[in-house]
Amino acid sequence: MINPTLRDAFWDKIYEIARKDRNVVVVSEDMGAPSLDKFRTDLPNQFINVGIAEQQGLLLASGMAMEGKRPFVYAIAPFVTLRCLEQIRVANGIMNIPVTLVGVGPSFGYDDSGPTHHLIEDIAVMRAFPNIVTHVPSDSVMSEALAEMSCTMAVTNYVRLDRHPLPPVHKHGTDFSMGFVPLIDGGKTCILACGIMVQKALDVARRINKGSSKAVGVIDLFSIPANESALIKQIKRYNKLVTLEEHFLPGGLGSYVLETLNNNEIAIPVKRIGLEHSRGYCYVYGGREYIHKYYGVTTNDVERLVRQHLRK
Amino acid sequence: MNTMIRKLEKKSHEIRKQVLDMCIKAGTGHVTSSLSATDIMVALYHGNLLRHDPKDPKWEGRDRFFLSKGQASPLLYAVLADRGFYSKAELKKFAQPGGIFGVHLQKSVPGVEITCGSLGQGFGMATGCALAAKMDRKLHMVYALLGDGECYEGSIWEAAMFASHNRLNNLVAIVDRNYQCVTDFTENIVALEPMDERWASFGWNVKRVDGHSHCELLDAMEELRSRRSTKPTVVIADTVKGCGVDFMSCVPLWHGLAPKGKDAARAQKELMRREEND
Repeated sequence: MINPTLRDAFWDKIYEIARKDRNVVVVSEDMGAPSLDKFRTDLPNQFINVGIAEQQGLLLASGMAMEGKRPFVYAIAPFVTLRCLEQIRVANGIMNIPVTLVGVGPSFGYDDSGPTHHLIEDIAVMRAFPNIVTHVPSDSVMSEALAEMSCTMAVTNYVRLDRHPLPPVHKHGTDFSMGFVPLIDGGKTCILACGIMVQKALDVARRINKGSSKAVGVIDLFSIPANESALIKQIKRYNKLVTLEEHFLPGGLGSYVLETLNNNEIAIPVKRIGLEHSRGYCYVYGGREYIHKYYGVTTNDVERLVRQHLRK
Repeated sequence: MNTMIRKLEKKSHEIRKQVLDMCIKAGTGHVTSSLSATDIMVALYHGNLLRHDPKDPKWEGRDRFFLSKGQASPLLYAVLADRGFYSKAELKKFAQPGGIFGVHLQKSVPGVEITCGSLGQGFGMATGCALAAKMDRKLHMVYALLGDGECYEGSIWEAAMFASHNRLNNLVAIVDRNYQCVTDFTENIVALEPMDERWASFGWNVKRVDGHSHCELLDAMEELRSRRSTKPTVVIADTVKGCGVDFMSCVPLWHGLAPKGKDAARAQKELMRREEND
């Protein structure tokens, strides 16, 4: 079975929807995708290329949304978010005009492109705004589902689409409405991860759970924020939690989990695994695994850290 | 025509006084930025240029107006009150507890399309509205009032380039060219001239008018709805920042301030004298 990239799965679904709904429009900031070629050919009036002009892309889309359009603004992840952040703050945060921001290649998706193309602060930044939800899909099944969800959301949806095909995690028909999906039911400890790190969490849990042990569970926490009460219900039975993200630690997924626990006055020890500020930005080439090695988040590193946390 | 011009001039006096009074009462507000654009706004709203319905602010067929220089909000608020979008009594509560509006523009106010205070943004959104109207074959116009200082923002030129390329001839930009920013005159900061040539080179139909002449403003804008050209139009309106109050005009440091005490009384007197002499 073919495993499409997350962005192809996403755009294929949008194409299908846009064929029936001419209010669905793509605002590309000079960004393409194989799956967008047919959109551009078949629906030229619904495809707008603004050039490398992210401020204009965002403002144009927001203006169109004011008139009832459903714009999907598309660029490499750092540019569709941080390059026009003030515009997002005013139009989508303050004015609450709903658009979908489709960022491709977040985190180390553009591994060999260096730190200008590594996006490892955006979850923290986008979480700061009311009226904006961040989604970090872990596979193409979820990506497709998010495309569909995005067409009916009343707030702005920022979707981080990994650039590379990711191994399948979810089955078609999975309920994504809560913003998280439990993948392994663990005994005492649970790893909450998002995006590409879900695969790593599953690998680590399988290693530790080898044999009959069911020590470590895994939850794919792909929506920030998620349904808080449902999430709390799901995680409060664990004695220990681990969060795992390909993002700087301050303000990221781990911070979100800590704040959620704190909001609900639940004291569970949490080990946050992600990118340390002390390691700064990196110019490491040769692929994503080398970068993970630099930041100490390879599968072996994560396994060691989880085992340490379990022993405490 | 003369009757209409007289009517508009009279209305401009009224609006200027209202703007000044509301800012004096609140002790805040961008008085000079509002006074420079008063005649432009009066021409739009009282000169039959902008289609609007105070009883139905969200009327689908309305022309969209984007105050991209959001700091001139007292002016728009006074004009909308005068048109009957809400009671004039609201103006007395400008930037005060229980009021419906403050120093920068707020979209929750009836007749206001956007929240604005961060420059370079309203215009980009206006291009989105104009493009959506084209896509849906709707006939309304989209107007955006820009500050000249706002034209330092790169996003203005991103939007300008986009609008002409996409033949948004339903879009009208009006630049309130008052030659001043917060701390200095624009030509001392980074020169904005030749502004006409810059807009023209971005593919716009350019008109340059005296922004305090209702006659010139109406002449420049009343035929735009017929859309003979595929180009969007920019009206560069040369104005005086603080027009009507001489001691506040041409003094950049009056930007964003409301006069207080003796200055307040003096400003009110100057506006009155101007009306009497007119």
